[in-house]
Amino acid sequence: MSLFSPRTHARLKSSTAPSVSSWQSGTGNVLHRRTVIPPWFINTASLILMGLLVLLSLSIGVADFSWSGILQSLLTQSANSDSSLLLVSRIPRTIAIILTGIAMAVAGMIIQVVLKNRFVEPSMVGATQSAALGLLVVSLLFPASALIVKMGVATIAAVFGMMLFMLLIHRIPPTDFLMIPLIGIVFGGIIEAVTTFIAYQTESLQMLSVWQFGDFSGVLAGRYELLWLTGGLCVLAYIIADKLTIVGLGDNIALNLGISKRQVTWIGVGMVAMMSAVVVVTVGMIPFIGLVVPNIVSRLMGDKLRRSLPAVALLGASAVLLCDIIGRSIRYPFEVPVATIFGVVGTVLFLWLLLRAPAEQ
Amino acid sequence: MPTPLLSSRSTASFFKRPLLTAAMTALLATVVAGCSSPESNDSEPADAKTENPTADESQNVASNDAVSAEKIMVNTVKGDVELAMNPSPLVVYDMTLMQDLAALDVAVDGMPGGLLLKNLHSETQPDPKSVGTVFEPDLEALNAMQPQAILVGSRMAEKYDELSSIAPTLDMSIDTANIYESSKQRLHDLGALFGKSDQAAKLQQNIDGLITEAKSLTKENKGTGLVVMVNGNKMSAYGDKSRYGFIHTVLGVPMADDKIADAPHGQPISFEYIQKANPDWLFVIDRSAAIGEDGIGAKAVLDNPLVAQSNAWSKQQVVYLSPDSYLAFGGYYQWMQDLTTIKDAFTNAK
Repeated sequence: MSLFSPRTHARLKSSTAPSVSSWQSGTGNVLHRRTVIPPWFINTASLILMGLLVLLSLSIGVADFSWSGILQSLLTQSANSDSSLLLVSRIPRTIAIILTGIAMAVAGMIIQVVLKNRFVEPSMVGATQSAALGLLVVSLLFPASALIVKMGVATIAAVFGMMLFMLLIHRIPPTDFLMIPLIGIVFGGIIEAVTTFIAYQTESLQMLSVWQFGDFSGVLAGRYELLWLTGGLCVLAYIIADKLTIVGLGDNIALNLGISKRQVTWIGVGMVAMMSAVVVVTVGMIPFIGLVVPNIVSRLMGDKLRRSLPAVALLGASAVLLCDIIGRSIRYPFEVPVATIFGVVGTVLFLWLLLRAPAEQ
Repeated sequence: MPTPLLSSRSTASFFKRPLLTAAMTALLATVVAGCSSPESNDSEPADAKTENPTADESQNVASNDAVSAEKIMVNTVKGDVELAMNPSPLVVYDMTLMQDLAALDVAVDGMPGGLLLKNLHSETQPDPKSVGTVFEPDLEALNAMQPQAILVGSRMAEKYDELSSIAPTLDMSIDTANIYESSKQRLHDLGALFGKSDQAAKLQQNIDGLITEAKSLTKENKGTGLVVMVNGNKMSAYGDKSRYGFIHTVLGVPMADDKIADAPHGQPISFEYIQKANPDWLFVIDRSAAIGEDGIGAKAVLDNPLVAQSNAWSKQQVVYLSPDSYLAFGGYYQWMQDLTTIKDAFTNAK
């Protein structure tokens, strides 16, 4: 189920970039592979993987903690230090990680389908950078405003940023699909430069860095709950999954099937903006999840969103869980921000995705 | 693996992104083009202006000859440098040195504009001109000023070569691992350079007096300490070789965790870490103070069930340090302010 028109396909075949053309020919393999690995298997496997990672995430931490203490607390029906630690610190952190992973992966999948482009993610269309800019401006002008206000402004900024980006790429022929991520990176870079400049002038670079480097060290009960909003948005994404898929098939098909492409596109854009804003406000930017995870899933299961979204969500959660566990362990008792770890792991994964394709031909 | 934390990324990693750099260059080019065009329209006034600096220069040379031809050795990071006394015009790029000079009542002719601290410039002296920021010199302004000496510290140290081509540049960075001795040397040298050795010695006495007082208190009130910087909802811990190391090395407060490695922005930690390290004293630097939420931000972030389990929180032994300790570590006013804060906290604890 290719996301690209036949014309793109033909053009790419003749293009000189081998990785790109192999990427395209990979769609053939996707059809083939899908018959080999059934979706229920992938979903069950990722669910088990996620379960194991959740247990690991709950067990790892600086403070003293034992599962026998939890068992005791359950048996005696009374709270002890272990159970309170679990409730105050470990469970909130794990939930925050899962929700962030799901949100970023699903947002990446939505934006890839809506833009009909495999190489984009929220940070490549200016969404996360615009959210950070909005957050910085509202924090400087109204430092005392409530979190919900800050998040609202960040969301509006993200929507505006993405609208600007959509206007920019409107003039690019749809066949030139590598231009979209390129322009996206430049566009995001310009917004980030403006943000950095404002932060620099107002001595708030340190504050900005909190949003630019995603990390879960500050997550406690009562400090992450906004992330549940992204959970709701993911459910909405699942509900409108079929419409998004149809829009991803192309303008003519959408028209023929009676789907308002415009409407669905804007709903998608709005959802991506909100997810990015919530994640930036609560934990900070985490690059690559939205790029790598949907690509892996799409290779295994194709692009029918109703089928692949659960896998995207599960794999996204597992990926962030794994990276956070690494970040918490390698310099114990100190932490390495999850954004740094994912930057490394994500790059390796993405290169592997790009480079392994030719071998299959 | 070095963690690209906080603002350490600001400039370095910024230019590692080629696309961003290209965009910035383009932006810069348009700005420069925009600026240069109006000047080229009226070239005659510009020519007239160029005569002024030369006139100033000759005046300065004359005045310098009059005041002193005496030369003096100044200890810098790059070795001892010989310099004529009372260099003027004088440009300073480091907040630590600014504090010392302000306390010595020395006139500074150029310093970065829009700085956060209020005690960087002597009230009795004329206001200095802005010559860029603490990270980036304004070379045009410097060139127009023709300084006799440029004093730089840690933040500007990497621009040393660039600045040296304009005027004698002295890297007088403070060694954070040995902050007391290092800052003592700087204050002494600045005093000597501007013929105010007696005043410098007196200032040093003030610092030493407070240190002795604080030390006697920390000795009595034994207990471990942990230095934590709060930035947004995240925290990092600082060790004894950091700019806050003086709490452990000079004042002798034992470290709650002696395995904290040195890093310019500390080691990122979680709240569980504070619970586990369980310090008796928590020294807090609030980075959000920069946007005018003095102390409130950090207090709200630390106020949670995990930190509450630590001795420091339950005994109300949480000390909020001034932004001076972050920006002007080793400067005169920073010493006075933070030593007083710590002394008061330990006095009240009894």
